[in-house]
Amino acid sequence: MSEPRRFRPAMAWLHTWAGLVVGWVLFAVFVTGTASYYKDDISRWMRPELSESQADPVLAATRAGEYLAGQMPEAGGWFVKLPKAEEPVTEVYWWKSFAGPFHHALLDPVTGLPSKARDTRGGDFLYRFHFELGLPSLWGRWIVGACAMVLLIALISGIVTHRRIFADFFTFRPDRSRQRAWLDAHNLVGVLALPFHLMITYTGLATLGLMLMPWGAQTAYRGQVPLFYEEAGLMTQSRPPAGRREPGLPLGEFVRKAERTAGEPPEGLLIASPGDAASTVNAVFEEPHGLAHLHPQIAYDALTGAEWARNGTPGGATRTATVMYGLHEAHFAAPALRILFFLCGAMGAATVASGLVLWTVARTPKGAAPAGLGLRLVRILNIGTIAGLPAGIGAFFLANRLLPLALTHRAEWEVGAFFGAWILVALVGALTPRRRAWPASLGLAAATFLAIVPADLILVGEARFVAFDMAMLAAATLLILAARTATKPPAALTRRPSPQVAQA
Amino acid sequence: MGGRARLVIAGRVVLAIFGGYAIAGLATALGAILLPLPRAEAVSAATLASFAVMAAAVIYVFAAPTLLRASASLGGCAALLAAGLWLAGGFSPAGPA
Amino acid sequence: MSAAGLAVCVALAFAGLSALALSLDRHHRAALRGPVPKARIAPLRGAGWAGLALSLYAAVALAGWNFGLVQALGAVTAAALAVAVCLTYRPGWLRPAAVAALPIAAAFLPFALAAQ
Repeated sequence: MSEPRRFRPAMAWLHTWAGLVVGWVLFAVFVTGTASYYKDDISRWMRPELSESQADPVLAATRAGEYLAGQMPEAGGWFVKLPKAEEPVTEVYWWKSFAGPFHHALLDPVTGLPSKARDTRGGDFLYRFHFELGLPSLWGRWIVGACAMVLLIALISGIVTHRRIFADFFTFRPDRSRQRAWLDAHNLVGVLALPFHLMITYTGLATLGLMLMPWGAQTAYRGQVPLFYEEAGLMTQSRPPAGRREPGLPLGEFVRKAERTAGEPPEGLLIASPGDAASTVNAVFEEPHGLAHLHPQIAYDALTGAEWARNGTPGGATRTATVMYGLHEAHFAAPALRILFFLCGAMGAATVASGLVLWTVARTPKGAAPAGLGLRLVRILNIGTIAGLPAGIGAFFLANRLLPLALTHRAEWEVGAFFGAWILVALVGALTPRRRAWPASLGLAAATFLAIVPADLILVGEARFVAFDMAMLAAATLLILAARTATKPPAALTRRPSPQVAQA
Repeated sequence: MGGRARLVIAGRVVLAIFGGYAIAGLATALGAILLPLPRAEAVSAATLASFAVMAAAVIYVFAAPTLLRASASLGGCAALLAAGLWLAGGFSPAGPA
Repeated sequence: MSAAGLAVCVALAFAGLSALALSLDRHHRAALRGPVPKARIAPLRGAGWAGLALSLYAAVALAGWNFGLVQALGAVTAAALAVAVCLTYRPGWLRPAAVAALPIAAAFLPFALAAQ
């Protein structure tokens, strides 16, 4: 088609090609994002040495401060994430400047020494992969952001193109031609969860908003963007370092003060210019109950402990932005609602995957004509992503159980297992003859998830992890079903002709 | 598909990406200084809306009858936005009025 | 909102969406015998939208407007998926399931209210 003359065909063309180009990245973003709804549960499973216990945040903060003081002379800043009952570790970050790199450690909340839990990135690996793709931070976020914008275009053009959105709302005909079946499937998961898809895409863009679209802040604030965060009520006032070294109060003091003022202990402490005379300790509190992702803060003078500043109250527009972050992360979701978010995320991944498969099915040449290079490439990328990524995730969890605890750089080895398994399964999919490629690679992915269950039961065997293991079995079952569907010719997909067709 | 047709499609893609982003960026900058809200609020509002602006521009580029028409329209919009931004002091180092 | 509250919303949405589905010829043929009688279209659609409205009302009443809207949309998506799967693989079960959904919603309601 050269010059699209009519709106709908133009949008159909746009939807097909925009969807294809970013589909593989988006599949990975959806799958890891959906998994991230449970990132804390995943982290708990991956650090079985930590048992739920009550840790004293005051002591934990002081010990963390002592540890951090020994890490980097004249650090630009520290962050101490205080322990909670479900997560009895102190998480610390330290950096020279906000440009990074950010160093990270997990500490025992009582001794302040590095935690005895196995070295692992935990659920945070999948969470970060979701918006950074395992790449250097800025590159990854820009790629994901660009793909999200293309997804928005694909959603809009898809809605325009889908003629019978209401008449076909519940329609799924797996017994018809392969192309019909895949189109029905794509439409079904796309339309039924459409409010979620639109929400998650726009809120995802909004979350990366100031990085993707800094021109408003840059222009209005003459480049002084930290001032925007202050005026918006998102962060407290900051002050530059004085240049003189002077030790501050033990960090536990600030936890105590903050708890006295706010009635609850803070979630974490952000220390600016530690060890400097002008250092401030910013107590960051948990998000209040609501959709908006807000962190009330109280900043204290590090030397005297006097309250120095609080963050302001965000106005309507800024609140809307924080509601968008809140909706995207769904921290507010109780267990039942979280399952629904997970279901919708899975439907998003399914929409992308079915679209990618549909693209190849619609272009498969009839009869004995050979497939062109483009089609073969898309098929290989499809298998590599749709079967490869789940295999990588399964291998990541499996490696957590199988790798020796004392292995140096153990966390990096786990990540290596993720990428290694992904590449391996992708290669199997690419090199296996076409009829067996999908079942072989999906079967391998299923095998990694199945293997997790005995590995966990034998090597760790704690009752509190049964739910996670059941989820692994469910994932394996899903992949096995997919593998079996991929082996059947289309006519055998239902045991009897679909009633929807028989009466037509 | 003819070579000329491919060129036209490539042209639309390039125009959509760069032209769309430029329009959205200019509109965000202009909105941030012109919206009758406190400064931080104007920035938040303009930034949040920017993605809808870019999406609209991209859809338009592919829906427009010819590439020429799309280029002219986007170019015109960009010029207007840039002029508005310049008049409002968005480009001068001394700061917006 | 508790799980019971969400169950009430999903059940009501399922009943409503089933009615809407049955008002369409294609699905009526699959689930029951023959096309939709002309006289039944309007009542089915009315019942369908009523079910959805009740589901939204329950969500907002139990969780307020901001959370309620989110819960309601999630409930409708889950219920719609259930209707689609039912129509594809066991269409004969749709009407009995839709009818059963109403007392199920009523059964969960006291637990949902108690959890407030």
